[in-house]
Amino acid sequence: MHRALALFPLLVGWVAPAWGGPLAVVTSSTDLKALVEAVGGDRVRVESLAPAIHEPHAVEVKPSQLAELKSAVLLVRIGLDHEPWLPRVLQTLSDPRFAPGSPHYLETWKGIRLLQTETPRLRADRGVHLHGFGNTHYWLDPGNARPMTGAILGALSRLAPADSPSFEANRKRFLEQLDARLGRWTQAMAPYGGTRVVVAHETWPYFAERFGLKIVAALEPTPGVPPSPSYLAKLTQQMREAGIKVLIAEPSSSASLVNEVAIRSGARVVTLIPSVGGNPEAGDYLALFDLNIKRLAETLAAGR
Amino acid sequence: MWLAFDFLWLPFLACLVLTGIHAYLGLHVLARGVIFVDLALAQVAALGITIAFLAGHTIQSDAAYWYALTFTVGGAVLFSVSRFRRAPIPQEAIIGIVYAVSAAAAVLVVDRAPQGSEHIKQLLVGSILTVTPKEVGALAILYAVIGALHWAIRRPLLQISFDPEAALRQGRWIRWWDFLFYASFGLVVTSSVRIAGVLLVFSYLIVPAAVGALLTRSVTGRLTIGWALGSLVSVIGLSASYLWDLPTGATVVTTFGALLAAVALGLGVRTLIQELRQRGLSALIGVGIAGSAIVGMLGLLLVLFPQMDHHWLNWVEEAAPSVQLLFLTPRERQTYWDSQEAIRKGLADLQRLRAFQQEVQWGTRHMPADQEERLRQFLAGRSEITAGDRLVLRTLRSKARERQRYWLGVPLFAVGGVGALALARARRRGTA
Repeated sequence: MHRALALFPLLVGWVAPAWGGPLAVVTSSTDLKALVEAVGGDRVRVESLAPAIHEPHAVEVKPSQLAELKSAVLLVRIGLDHEPWLPRVLQTLSDPRFAPGSPHYLETWKGIRLLQTETPRLRADRGVHLHGFGNTHYWLDPGNARPMTGAILGALSRLAPADSPSFEANRKRFLEQLDARLGRWTQAMAPYGGTRVVVAHETWPYFAERFGLKIVAALEPTPGVPPSPSYLAKLTQQMREAGIKVLIAEPSSSASLVNEVAIRSGARVVTLIPSVGGNPEAGDYLALFDLNIKRLAETLAAGR
Repeated sequence: MWLAFDFLWLPFLACLVLTGIHAYLGLHVLARGVIFVDLALAQVAALGITIAFLAGHTIQSDAAYWYALTFTVGGAVLFSVSRFRRAPIPQEAIIGIVYAVSAAAAVLVVDRAPQGSEHIKQLLVGSILTVTPKEVGALAILYAVIGALHWAIRRPLLQISFDPEAALRQGRWIRWWDFLFYASFGLVVTSSVRIAGVLLVFSYLIVPAAVGALLTRSVTGRLTIGWALGSLVSVIGLSASYLWDLPTGATVVTTFGALLAAVALGLGVRTLIQELRQRGLSALIGVGIAGSAIVGMLGLLLVLFPQMDHHWLNWVEEAAPSVQLLFLTPRERQTYWDSQEAIRKGLADLQRLRAFQQEVQWGTRHMPADQEERLRQFLAGRSEITAGDRLVLRTLRSKARERQRYWLGVPLFAVGGVGALALARARRRGTA
């Protein structure tokens, strides 16, 4: 009897969708969690494996998350090589449902025009080796939320056909809000079109392309490896000569490095949040861009 | 070069300040055999700051500093109490356990406050390149005070470190002195790690003291050598980091390693020369056997696995291309020279155009957007062609390897093997 009781929660996890409870979805990032919630509404229960701010090579999954993943019906991830920690987790789980081609597994990069897709040979030549398949921070272009939520809608509808109309309505509402905000964001950034900026990490190419910024250099071309003094000397000199006014940092950037470069180059630092939840004000996908655009526009206005 | 000076004088001053206190403390640490105590104390302090963060204080706040200090003093108490005369476990074990447990505890605590984890990690990484004048000044004053304190109480401290038995016989209050030592040491390490990172602090602590111990016995001698060496490595490491475009902290640490290796090599050669004077050429037999064995081994590897990475042969071929050309047909030789020339030209082209592209990107030179795109695509194509030329050279190299396999590998194996055996026999006859 006791054993049967112990099995009960597991059974519920599996059977719940059929009963009409919320779908258990696991995402690899908080941004995907926000998008799945936008489409799924109260018909989904979403858990993100990685916290909002993390080092891609240092994500440690907890036992409770493994259990969560085991009982989930859908895994949503960024894909490409954005989550080097995830293959081991999936290996541990050894669940055939979470493999490419399965309806329980979704990579959201399909249908997105990727940036920085040079071949590995060219990158080796230039001494940068960031991503094997192109830059993976594509959720930072709010325009990409359209194909991403489209893919999420497809996956959710396949798993719960009965709820499909409600998912579609949710997505439509979300996209309407997104379009309205996108207009506002573009307007806020319009006066600064073509402004050259320097970034701390190569996180922002999609964001910059959407809002008309030109990224000319990164402080840490290879994440986690501190730049050399000669690189910094050349960079700050170039920044002064080119009149770069803005330096985009992230919460995970080294504060001392960013401050040093700002002081020497005369640029203003603005800390942008790369993921939902990385700041209390960036609670969902739209709020994330509200906050980033607000901070950026303030800095750009002050730098004029 | 002025640009370099502008960037490096402050890190250099910081390095000198680090050398001053750490070369001295390193003597104690080495004599007591508690090599990793600095890592443990730094980690304990980081745990303190992590808990302060969780309690709602920012990392740079005074409150966080007091938390760190309290935890460090706690660590000092632990280390001074855990020293026994005939202990069932060495103190190094306790230090290791404290390190591992406090690092793990910090992970557990950080898990509750994800938005601060990156900053806490940076407490242990530090960056010598971006120190501020204020930090260096504060550090210099703090270390001067601690240095003066250690000078005042040098007699008991040195005796306990270098001759604990005598200290015990004289009835010194070893635990209290130990506590004072570890507390001041913890204060130093915690402050240093903040700006220089764990690896660099460890190197400044151990390597100068270790080299001093290799070269002399007296404490003043060791200290002088340690200070001189620390300053020298700082200069070499910082310059190398600038000249070769390398991350600064890691370069200085590697320089420490290289210098220690050079000193050890020098001592080895000196011993060898002394033996050579005493025993004549027979002193060299051991080195000869090792050398011949290595030559034979390299030859054997070339015979067995011609396509594996033979870095030594690559270096020889780079210095003297004829070593490779000798094994190529005249036609292949022509291809070799053609590809070399193409690569040279391609790299020159790429360098010029990339500089051009950089100027456009930075906005110091104007170019219409369509032309900019054209330049970008041309650069991508041009570098692919150069990469292709490099592949041609690799193919030629692997062809040469197939022939060097027998014409070079077999003779090397034979010479090395026979040489080693002959020398071994000569040595046996010599000792017999």
